[in-house]
Amino acid sequence: MSDPTAGIPFRANAVKALQDGTLRHAMRNATETFAIKRSEAVAAVPLEEWREEASAMRLHVLDNLSDYVDRFEKKAVKAGANVHRAADSQAAREIIASILRDRSIGKVVKSKSMVSEEIHLNNYLQEQGVTVVETDLGEYIIQIAGEGPSHIIVPAIHKDRSQVGRLFAEKLGCDYSDDPEILTGVAKKVLRGEFLSAKAGISGANFAVAGSGSIAIFTNEGNGRMCTTLPSLHIVILSIEKMVPSLADLPKFIRLLPRSATGQTITSYLSVITGPRASGAATGAKEMHVVLLDNGRTEILSGEYREMFKCIRCGACLNACPVYRMVGGHAYGSTYPGPMGIVLTALLEGMERARNLLDATTLCGACGDVCPVKVPLPKLLRRLRESRVEKGLTPRFEQTAMTGFGNAAKSPLIFHLGQNASRVFWPAMKRLGLYQTLGRMPRPASKTFRERVS
Amino acid sequence: MTREETIALFIANAAKVAAEPIHAADDGQFQRALDDSLAESVTIFCPGITEKEKAVEIPPDKRTEDYVSASACVDEADAAIAETGSLVFSSDKGRPVQAGLLPAHHVALVSSENIYETLDDYFSTVAASPPTNITLETGPSRTADIELTLTIGVHGPGRLTVIVF
Repeated sequence: MSDPTAGIPFRANAVKALQDGTLRHAMRNATETFAIKRSEAVAAVPLEEWREEASAMRLHVLDNLSDYVDRFEKKAVKAGANVHRAADSQAAREIIASILRDRSIGKVVKSKSMVSEEIHLNNYLQEQGVTVVETDLGEYIIQIAGEGPSHIIVPAIHKDRSQVGRLFAEKLGCDYSDDPEILTGVAKKVLRGEFLSAKAGISGANFAVAGSGSIAIFTNEGNGRMCTTLPSLHIVILSIEKMVPSLADLPKFIRLLPRSATGQTITSYLSVITGPRASGAATGAKEMHVVLLDNGRTEILSGEYREMFKCIRCGACLNACPVYRMVGGHAYGSTYPGPMGIVLTALLEGMERARNLLDATTLCGACGDVCPVKVPLPKLLRRLRESRVEKGLTPRFEQTAMTGFGNAAKSPLIFHLGQNASRVFWPAMKRLGLYQTLGRMPRPASKTFRERVS
Repeated sequence: MTREETIALFIANAAKVAAEPIHAADDGQFQRALDDSLAESVTIFCPGITEKEKAVEIPPDKRTEDYVSASACVDEADAAIAETGSLVFSSDKGRPVQAGLLPAHHVALVSSENIYETLDDYFSTVAASPPTNITLETGPSRTADIELTLTIGVHGPGRLTVIVF
């Protein structure tokens, strides 16, 4: 990982992304399609009522999180699973690596998990000599391309079909095609072999059910089902905030998650797994381990940003965000992109590292409007910006300019002088090779508002 | 909602997600629907756990016990959910839930009395002590990971036939 105190170079990343025509086209197509599908999916349902209920339930869980985590652990252990608690990324990585090491397992199939991205699990396992095969088609594409996900739901959203075709031809030795159906067929064939030969599967979990010790996984492809039922060992990595009290509460979230993510009423598959295979049964891994990751969450939950952990990772705020739509996920240089990603990065990785990401928002509020569990994203983003100023982490030019403006605004005389000066000098400065920055700014009005109304 | 309305809603919602639902009114229609669905299958797996599964007639040269290589799987869902058009399979009674996932064609039998109206109706029945594995299957396997172009049949079956009887 790069130096944690160095800020992510968002501006440079964004400029690069904006110059990439293929990326711009792919992002526009994807985010607009998703946003439209979401709107259609929620049009005929009592969305506000559902959001209120889900938000209240998520808050209730966060208020009583340690109880729910304890209850989940007890029930999961009773169902026959091994439960491990990991205070941070390194602990979680090492728990998983040691389970595999102790059983001499050299290859795992993996179902998409953002928490595993958060702890950089794949790199760690590969350093330990374990081959990790991502099995979600999008994750598989970016894995063989050597990239990270650019969207939390559709990781390869930034690639078009010809790029995927060239990638498959190069890495898998198949004939070039830009037909998604043919490319999907190629991946299916390769991955089917991996599923059937793998000794271990690693998955994330969309929810963990405290009342029964179950985990719930939503997938469309069926790779989640394969990873959790075909290998004899199943390892689940999940962050502690994903608790729901009871299986009877799950429908609330089944109704909101797929609708918000892809506009579906429900995903093709939903697996609810409670412990390993029972004796005499014919389904399930023979051995199941659940790793519960804290990674700073308990501490953050006691502070003013706690509502961020209501998030159910649907990605709706990414698709709604005017900045994300333009630059895509990689420009954020963090595990989680988009509005939720900015807040999570600031909380999990620190303000020093995330400070430039706070420029990646227009504070338009679209993210808060679409959030299915009412995470107050605009409020959290604004509060983080204030905190950035308080910590003195804004650029010096901005600090000086804002202090200057503050002083000028206090004095009607200076303010008026400034207005007149800008009307004279601004057009001249725009002509003086400062076009890059000033050229994008509007010309000062020839008459001020006061002059027009008085 | 009457039983008939619940069945009709389930069938309508299953059709919306690209499953092929068939409502069989009697034994004859059931057998015909089954024969039509399986006409092109080379090898067929059927676990033979429930009464309906036991009644499925498969020519001996087509029957296989190996669901990994089978071209079709015929089995009966534990339940179905009208609200979403979902089938529910569970690990109860020694059922291999993954058998419906591996073959390219899944033929699911649904007893009409096992159709729940809502997700809540179903989940409240299993909340206290759920079986090891509960799988909701809603339409065939799908992905839109390449340019959001919908492609059916990624890892799971490309075709899902649902026979309600």
